[in-house]
Amino acid sequence: MAEDHGSSRNMSMSMSQKELGDEDARAVRVGDAARTNERLEFAGNAVRTAKYSPFTFLPRNLFEQFHRLAYVYFLAIAVLNQLPQLAVFGRGASVMPLAFVLTVTAVKDAYEDWRRHRADRAENNRLAAVLSTVPGAGAAEYVPTKWKDVRVGDIVRVAANESPPADMVLLATSDTTGVAYVQTLNLDGESNLKTRYAKQETLTTRVEHLAGAAVIRCERPNRNIYGFQANLELQEESRRIPLGPSNIVLRGCDLKNTAWAVGVVVYAGRETKAMLNNAGTPTKRSRLETHMNRETLFLSGILIVLCSLVAALSGVWLRTHATQLELAQFFHKKDYLNSDKENSNYNYYGIAAQIVFNFLMAVIVFQIMIPISLYISMELVRLGQAYFMIRDARLYDASSDSRFQCRALNINEDLGQVKCIFSDKTGTLTQNKMEFRCASIDGVDYSDITRQRPVEGDLAWVPKVPVNVDREVMALVRNVGATEQGRYTREFFIALATCNTIVPLILDGPDPKKKVIDYQGESPDEQALVSAAAAYGFVLVERTSGHIVIDVLGEKQRFDVLGLHEFDSDRKRMSVIIGCPDKTVKLFVKGADSSMFGIIDKTLNPDVVQATEKHLHSYSSVGLRTLVIGVRELTQTEFLEWQMAYERASTALLGRGNLLRSVAANIERNMRLLGASGIEDKLQDGVPEAIEKLRQAEIKVWVLTGDKQETAISIGYSCKLLTQDMTQIVINSNSRESCRRSLDDAISMVHKLRSLSTDSQSRVPLALIIDGNSLVYIFDDTEREEKLFEVAIACDVVLCCRVAPLQKAGIVDLIKKRTSDMTLAIGDGANDVSMIQMADVGIGISGQEGRQAVMASDFAMGQFRFLVPLLLVHGHWNYQRMGYMILYNFYRNATFVFVLFWYVLYTGFTLTTAITEWSSVLYSVIYTAVPTIVVAILDKDLSRRTLLKYPQLYGAGQREENYNLRLFIYIMMDSVWQSLAVFFIPYLAYRKSAIDSASLGDLWTLSVVILVNIHLAMDVIRWTWITHAAIWGSIVATWICVIVIDSIPILPGFWAIYKVMGTGLFWALLLAVIVVGMIPHFAAKAIREHFIPNDIQIAREMEKLKHSHELTHPEVQMSTFAQS
Amino acid sequence: MVIPVLAFVGLIFIPIGLACIVSSNKVVEVVYRYDTKCVPGNMLHNKVAYIQNASIDKTCTRTLKIPRDMKRPIYIYYQLDKFYQNHRRYSTSRSDAQLREPKAAGDVAEFCKPEAFAANGRPIVPCGLIAWSLFNDTYSFARRNRLPRDGDHGPPPLTVSKRGISWPSERGHLFGKNVFPRNFQNGSLVGGGQLDPRKPLSEQEDLMVWMRTAALPRFRKLYGRMEADLVAGELITVTVRNSYNSYSYAGGEKAVVLSTAGWLGGRNGFLGRAYVVVGMACFLLALLLTLLCLVFPMKEEHLLLR
Repeated sequence: MAEDHGSSRNMSMSMSQKELGDEDARAVRVGDAARTNERLEFAGNAVRTAKYSPFTFLPRNLFEQFHRLAYVYFLAIAVLNQLPQLAVFGRGASVMPLAFVLTVTAVKDAYEDWRRHRADRAENNRLAAVLSTVPGAGAAEYVPTKWKDVRVGDIVRVAANESPPADMVLLATSDTTGVAYVQTLNLDGESNLKTRYAKQETLTTRVEHLAGAAVIRCERPNRNIYGFQANLELQEESRRIPLGPSNIVLRGCDLKNTAWAVGVVVYAGRETKAMLNNAGTPTKRSRLETHMNRETLFLSGILIVLCSLVAALSGVWLRTHATQLELAQFFHKKDYLNSDKENSNYNYYGIAAQIVFNFLMAVIVFQIMIPISLYISMELVRLGQAYFMIRDARLYDASSDSRFQCRALNINEDLGQVKCIFSDKTGTLTQNKMEFRCASIDGVDYSDITRQRPVEGDLAWVPKVPVNVDREVMALVRNVGATEQGRYTREFFIALATCNTIVPLILDGPDPKKKVIDYQGESPDEQALVSAAAAYGFVLVERTSGHIVIDVLGEKQRFDVLGLHEFDSDRKRMSVIIGCPDKTVKLFVKGADSSMFGIIDKTLNPDVVQATEKHLHSYSSVGLRTLVIGVRELTQTEFLEWQMAYERASTALLGRGNLLRSVAANIERNMRLLGASGIEDKLQDGVPEAIEKLRQAEIKVWVLTGDKQETAISIGYSCKLLTQDMTQIVINSNSRESCRRSLDDAISMVHKLRSLSTDSQSRVPLALIIDGNSLVYIFDDTEREEKLFEVAIACDVVLCCRVAPLQKAGIVDLIKKRTSDMTLAIGDGANDVSMIQMADVGIGISGQEGRQAVMASDFAMGQFRFLVPLLLVHGHWNYQRMGYMILYNFYRNATFVFVLFWYVLYTGFTLTTAITEWSSVLYSVIYTAVPTIVVAILDKDLSRRTLLKYPQLYGAGQREENYNLRLFIYIMMDSVWQSLAVFFIPYLAYRKSAIDSASLGDLWTLSVVILVNIHLAMDVIRWTWITHAAIWGSIVATWICVIVIDSIPILPGFWAIYKVMGTGLFWALLLAVIVVGMIPHFAAKAIREHFIPNDIQIAREMEKLKHSHELTHPEVQMSTFAQS
Repeated sequence: MVIPVLAFVGLIFIPIGLACIVSSNKVVEVVYRYDTKCVPGNMLHNKVAYIQNASIDKTCTRTLKIPRDMKRPIYIYYQLDKFYQNHRRYSTSRSDAQLREPKAAGDVAEFCKPEAFAANGRPIVPCGLIAWSLFNDTYSFARRNRLPRDGDHGPPPLTVSKRGISWPSERGHLFGKNVFPRNFQNGSLVGGGQLDPRKPLSEQEDLMVWMRTAALPRFRKLYGRMEADLVAGELITVTVRNSYNSYSYAGGEKAVVLSTAGWLGGRNGFLGRAYVVVGMACFLLALLLTLLCLVFPMKEEHLLLR
């Protein structure tokens, strides 16, 4: 192809580079896809998110489905049934339930996969402009190429609002300085524009000339969308040009505000970062499901007991009847046709073998003791519940237009059992919309809000977010007279305007003379600081890869950005090296106070340092986020030294991050303190109320924040987490020893307080406040961990400040390991991801800080306060309904099995069923499946209003009141009783009659189905027409099925139902069975509700009364009353 | 809410129960168990040998007294005990296709064995254990002493009609009009009755009744119908031809039953009693709950949440 032209020219170069490159790098020859892909090691650009192809669908899908143990069980039973000696059911009937379940799932999977196939096809056939040399002419032009044919090494041109077909390194853009803006909404959900740069070196060369003349060596494909390490070698230049994350545009981004951009593909198809990030979140399993497995084991035990009993009794029967079996007409042991052989029995292999056969046949007949349909019902129910959660208007955040999202579909019911919430602070409790409130500049405090006014006057630039300014500072800045203080104040604002990664976007405002500037950036703090600087007249108006332009009090000045050390959570600061218009080189650093005071030279201005520290303390105690700003002028030698180190570090392919960090640490020292800023992070709406509700629901709220202690405490107060009557235990240690001591103190204090106040009324609430440093020491050692746990569990509130992301997960693990309490983690930032994944339930706030937390979460929503309706209302409902559904499914199938079992006792223990095999098979699939699903989706034990009004009702889930062993035993006893009623009432009535097995079987089928459906109906609390239709419809459907089965001449029992329905006895028995079967459950329920009601029943009673009171005396308060 | 429901159930159930008892008591039932009584005393120790000996005449005539008036129709049943028609080995041993279609004569189902083929290798029609074990005792009835009444022109004879004892659905769909018994009961072990090879299966009503397998090991099956009224105290003779081998299995109880029918079918004391007992239990429970509510009234603190 066209690329071949350059191949020979490249040969020598590629040889030399082999030695230079290391094994981990991939070499991409720019514009030479053929050579690049010579060794076929790079993925093509066709993507495939679909799991199956038409040929692999069946085996793969079945393989995946059979990962469920239950399915293997049912398959084994279906296989057993195929053995001639064990054939209990016909071929069709034995395979049907499993086939049904598998088919439903397979159809669902197939549909989803078909949609993915369609999406893939659309994606792969999109067109991209790929540079292609015209053969012969030597010229090159952009040829439309399908995305799937784009290869690594191709040069691609992307126009505005288009998306690059693969991950590519920018070579040139429409902007002369090489800037391109991208939006990564589809990638990480962030809507702000990010800047990407083409390198100066490639910008100046024509793209056609670059083709074949440059090689990019980049790291192997990885899923880090915020990292990229590579370097570029140009033929004519000897040095290597470093490439970083800011030089690459990723598949899935959109090019914005840029007419075009040209880049070279480095990762394609499944190796792009977007595709690598496509993997789903790890699946969690709900607590209820784990418990359910325990009860499933019990059921297996019961099943084995039943089967053993039948097998043993059949052995006894065969033994006692041994002499009669030969002649008894119903046994006919001998096969007389083979009478030449001695002992030629027909289908009889001796008592021992018959016992084994009978045991296995019993397993086949009683198989539905383990409810197969439960698994599929649970999935459907969770889908339904998710639908209602997503549709709930009270979980919809209008300000960010974000709906509630259910990302994990298998832990809905866990929401009803949460005991411990771990919350991030910034962005979760607070809005993460930063507002610049005050500053301490050169030791002078400007925090008097009363003096602040909106900006007015003749500014040509207006920041999009209005900022109030302090008149005094304004005057100080404008006064060009060179007072020392004025100089430092100006320098402070220059630092604010330069030391950041903000991109200014100039918009047209309503007033043509005033330009509105929108500051786009990844950090809300920086946006606030730059907006503040702009308000004071230091307007950042332009940013390119090499310089920024600041409108300093009306005069545009160019500052060269010589180097930038990005913020990282270890250093907790960032710095820039700026070549100022006055030819000096300055280093500006901004960062958290803890990290800044270590690098500040306190001898330069000790008064200022002292005053600033004092101001910082007062800022953080009113809940402001503080940043400290420092500056240092670099000497020429210092700068050159730094520049060499920086270049070396930034072109390194391996360990670049560490190298850069040490370069930064080297230069960031002996800083002169300029001042500090205080930024307000407003609380989200309804946070204090939400926390109060959660506390009433006896959910512990732990706040884990990266902020400093004072800030954390003040936020704690403002969101009502901490109250004045609380005793605070503060652990704030710098060494192992002191940490141990403070833990011991804390423990003794807890013990003392607890012994003082034994009754719960006069209990002193405790709050534990602990910082990240102490946690480092504590997590070192299990003994200390144990102690911390003891203290933390005794406290009502725990506040952890200055914690690193991994420590957050450690804290969650501390609780998860030692208690069975359900934990929930909620956060919005990338630093919360580990905690969200660690907790039983992870919730992401779709807020300001991007979407990484949301991507890792199980549920996502817009506001912290939505936790209250989510847990107290939906969680409660989901848990209650799911718990009931599981129990009901156990009960329903067990009742049926017991009825079969009683009958087996009257058939010589030979596993005959009077109920037709089709009814056996359809029982849990059609006869009784729909109502339980509908009820589990729609039933509501209490109204939303009541649940929100009395948060303590949430305790039902925490105490596992709706699903526990006691309830299981109770419902199993009920099941035995009902089966006795179903079996023995007709049995006794028909004892000496001409009843045939098909008619009796039909009666039993109908009575079991009606009984279990009425049982369900009795437990339904909120009826809707759908519930009515499902329950009564199921009974009608069963009746129709029984009639249809009995109308098919080839099935046994032809016409039986018509005959038996014509007798009065049938109807009389049906009525008797239902009433006798229901009375114990009915009476027990009533007695429990009357004499030992639980909270939920009390609340329901209140609801009923309130309702009737509102109808009769709308204004009268409710008072004493009696129950029916 | 609970108490009224329970009381209501009691209120409904007791009358129904009483009605059932009354109805059941109206039914007159005469049961005569003959399995030992029709074996000569000298053969009682080996009943199987007696029944298998074809040379002995097994007719036995006994007199029954009618306790109460019996209005027509009078149903005649035979009753067997501990005969497991619901035994898996037995109840599946049939071929429905063969019964229906002459073409399917060779379709002896897997489970028809060991009564699938005759000794000559031909398929048996109808095959399987159920058909093979067809019940073949016969009964005939006659009036012993007739109590004279005014204006009576002699008693109608006590003929037993065997028409219509099967279900129309069986005659119409399950048993074919063109299917004739073949090779039936030819084996070395005789299970039960013979079939007239000239009559199609759709007319063999005894076979149909027998092949509609009973649900429980003690069962009755309709033998025939007697269109005659019997009066209280009347003596009738029943002539039993005792040829069915019920002695080879435990129990072996055989009985002939004469019964009239009420709206609940045969005589059945259980259902009525059950209704009355359940009704009373509901009343008692309602009473108990009422008392409990009076003794421990709902207090206000009951209505406080935890």
